[in-house]
Amino acid sequence: MTNTLAQEAGIGKAVSIADDRSRAFEAAVREHQAMVFSVAYHFLHDHAAAEELAQEVFLELYKHWHEIESREHRIYWLRKVASRRCIDQTRRRKYRNHLSLEDAPEPFTLMPATDPLLNRYIQQLLAKLAEAPRMVMILRYQEGLEPTEIAELLEMPVATVKSHLQRSLAVLRRKLSFATQEDES
Amino acid sequence: MTDFEDQLRRALAHEEPSAGFAERVVARATKRRPPVWANWRAWTAVGVAACLCLGALDLEMEHQRKVRAQGEAARAQLVQAMHITSVKLQKIQKKVRGTS
Repeated sequence: MTNTLAQEAGIGKAVSIADDRSRAFEAAVREHQAMVFSVAYHFLHDHAAAEELAQEVFLELYKHWHEIESREHRIYWLRKVASRRCIDQTRRRKYRNHLSLEDAPEPFTLMPATDPLLNRYIQQLLAKLAEAPRMVMILRYQEGLEPTEIAELLEMPVATVKSHLQRSLAVLRRKLSFATQEDES
Repeated sequence: MTDFEDQLRRALAHEEPSAGFAERVVARATKRRPPVWANWRAWTAVGVAACLCLGALDLEMEHQRKVRAQGEAARAQLVQAMHITSVKLQKIQKKVRGTS
């Protein structure tokens, strides 16, 4: 009788721990879903693929839940796994049907000054960058990370990160200059 | 931060996934997987793999058996040829002695 009660208490405790974990996990998903999804979406430029990748990142988080020490650690972990998976997926699926950014056509008509369309155009230009500079730009301007943080996250030298940023900014600026000039006139 | 960088920041603002994303993730994460032994597909695959392995092993053994048999036949032919040669040589030797 005592044994049975102890067993029931043990099972009850285990269920309670599982429920707590599940609830905490759901809260974490809700808190970070926009961040993870946006990293994937801005990188892949494909809504469905980005959602699938974001789901996989969170499932990975669930598996490694016990290793996460704090909220900051969780954010770092999610950014790292999301960025790595994005790059891996692009390489695996050979998403190389993009033109290089240098070859991307200039906008031949007046670029509408409205933000949503300009934003969409910038996103399209970003999607044409090579994998590493694209992810560097996303982490810098979406997540607001410093070059040293990006270097640590992507495991590349800080000088490379800065070089990617400078070159990508220069090309994007040039591509958008036409629209800006038209807009100013 | 320049205007251009501000524009980039706005273009890369966070976007939400489709509705129900969190529920779908949690459902997938907490879904209990059946134990491996209960998975009939896994067992079928194991069975097929085992059959293929046994088949390949049998073919290899049969091949080795044939090679061995061919080797033995060749050896027997060689022994017989040597025996015939020996008999002929003896006959020639006798004839040579008879003439001398």
